[in-house]
Amino acid sequence: MKLKQGSFLWYLYLDKLYCLLSVRNVKALVEYFHLLDVHRKKTLNDVLFYHFLHHVTDLKRNQITIVFNMLDWNAVGEIGFDQFYMLVCILLAQENHLEEQFIFRHSRPVFELLDLDGELKIGPSNFHMYNFLFKIKKQQLRDLYHDFDITGDCRLNYKEFKLFTIFSMNKYQESQKAVEEEKALPEKKVSQVNVSQRESLLGINHFESVSNYNCEHL
Amino acid sequence: MEEKPFKALAKSSGHRGSGKSSPHDIRNLCTTATQSQPKLNVPLPTVREDSELEGSSVGSTTCWSYNQKAGHDSDGGWEESDDGEDKDSFKPEELDEHALMELEMRRGSSLGGPLEEDDSKTDDEKSSSVSSLNISKHTPHRAYWVEQQSRLPLPLTELMENEALEILTKALRSYRSEIGRDHFLTKQLQRYIEGLKRRRNKRLQVMVI
Repeated sequence: MKLKQGSFLWYLYLDKLYCLLSVRNVKALVEYFHLLDVHRKKTLNDVLFYHFLHHVTDLKRNQITIVFNMLDWNAVGEIGFDQFYMLVCILLAQENHLEEQFIFRHSRPVFELLDLDGELKIGPSNFHMYNFLFKIKKQQLRDLYHDFDITGDCRLNYKEFKLFTIFSMNKYQESQKAVEEEKALPEKKVSQVNVSQRESLLGINHFESVSNYNCEHL
Repeated sequence: MEEKPFKALAKSSGHRGSGKSSPHDIRNLCTTATQSQPKLNVPLPTVREDSELEGSSVGSTTCWSYNQKAGHDSDGGWEESDDGEDKDSFKPEELDEHALMELEMRRGSSLGGPLEEDDSKTDDEKSSSVSSLNISKHTPHRAYWVEQQSRLPLPLTELMENEALEILTKALRSYRSEIGRDHFLTKQLQRYIEGLKRRRNKRLQVMVI
């Protein structure tokens, strides 16, 4: 999924730590929602919602329907601002590659969204259905049920899900650290190379400097 | 993102005052402020603190402190407020009347402003006292100014409205094909789109003028 470049949502900034919008951004989003709320019900119906998501993302029709059904948990046929805000945060998290962080920070609402039947348990099919939103890979999903399904019923309750989010968050942080270290290493090498180049340009030879040192001390 | 409205509005304010330039013109004050900026740096921190307390944005703070620096914050404050007014209002005639009235009131209340400013430039202590006086003068308008600050920037509003128009036009097509042209929801949506278009056109006209 990708956000349309230059669209209103594209300009919003999602806080990387808390995965939330600033008050100023939320205010702008309220205005935007108000503009789309044609029938003044403080909600968006399925048609408006479809055209909105179709306009700002590259999601397909069936995916948009899945998202709508996920957000319209009460089956009212319309979604309010709370759900709209949640969706925008999910979209921005995905755009900024912050899926793990988002699930970790908002584990409860995400769990409630994934728990379609309201049984307080999530099956693998639910995860699979929303894969395009949260980008949980197949292998990750297999590991998830293998490692965290403590009750052994092939479904995750909230505590198990929370454990998974903590684990995936740790993994994500480790990978981020590794990436940063990889980035830092070439910089060090480059700086070392630069020093040696500078010395050679200035005509400073290590052997010369050592011999000079010896001469001076002799 | 927030600099654009001020640029656009600077243009509009320039137009408003064209052919009516007077020694008390705000634009003149603004230019003197920019020219004599280094000398007027001393009272700035206090002014900035004040403006930051009021929850101003970065872009607006700079413009605001400009006016404060000049020692004409009452006039500057009016200009800032008026700029904010331009954002959402689509009645240029009304705006001009209101703006002129405000300007007249300000002139009446602070006679000989520019002269005082010249004095303040020479003496740092005086300038600081002048700036504090100006802040106290400005206090009655603080609520109004804060209200102006809380509005969305004009380019963002435009972007939102244009995008909403595109989305709603597509939705209107779906409405027509699925529930029919005569359905009250279709009619409501059509009226809404027309209203949005009118609003946009009016704003465009104001910006062109």
